[in-house]
Amino acid sequence: MVDKGGAVLSAGPIDMSGLLAGAHHPGAGAVVLFSGEVRDSNRGKAVAFLEYEAYGLMAQKVIAEILVTAREKWSLHIAVAQHRTGKVAVGDTAVVVITASAHRSEAYAANRYIIDRIKHEAPIWKCEHYADGTQEWGNNCNCHSVTGDPSRHIYESHG
Amino acid sequence: MKIHVYAGLKDYFQPEFEVESVVRNTDELKAVLVTINDKAEAMLSSCRFAVEEGFINNEYKLNQHDTIVIIPPSSGG
Repeated sequence: MVDKGGAVLSAGPIDMSGLLAGAHHPGAGAVVLFSGEVRDSNRGKAVAFLEYEAYGLMAQKVIAEILVTAREKWSLHIAVAQHRTGKVAVGDTAVVVITASAHRSEAYAANRYIIDRIKHEAPIWKCEHYADGTQEWGNNCNCHSVTGDPSRHIYESHG
Repeated sequence: MKIHVYAGLKDYFQPEFEVESVVRNTDELKAVLVTINDKAEAMLSSCRFAVEEGFINNEYKLNQHDTIVIIPPSSGG
């Protein structure tokens, strides 16, 4: 949850209000919250729900490192991330990232950096379950097709 | 060595299984896995490998007692 050592994975609904309530800091003039939510369609097909699987120990380690790096890079007062595992319904939250900093530009930049790296690097996978009963592991990071290396990524937000 | 796989790789392998062959690095491990299921070859080329919650590359010398986790491209978020 927080870069003070809280859980970054949740098998049940994410308490977004609770996370936000705990993300205020007297030195922070800006708090940015990103909520990644489950869409009702993917590739033109109606989605029934998603199911997330994680290599838990490593996902926690990877996300914790990302939060520490972001906190240092943008001098954040708070950096929080929590990702769902298990079944997540359409409209529900799959991942939350909260950043708090003195000014908004750092909070926005750091927030995007964190979610981009989580999506590319954390060993977490989504299985799309469609309304027609089919399912597929979907929307994988495809950077290796460009970089030639599964460990090298191309991020939207940074080089 | 023990192998754990996740997500889409479970369409090709059991979630946990053992490889008896002696393999020294991840390239050799991939080659052995392709002999088990050649349909997994393309996916394996996009996977990362980990030992004890740390990513490894082909330079890492595998030990027969290692537990290797094979990590398909992430799709969190």
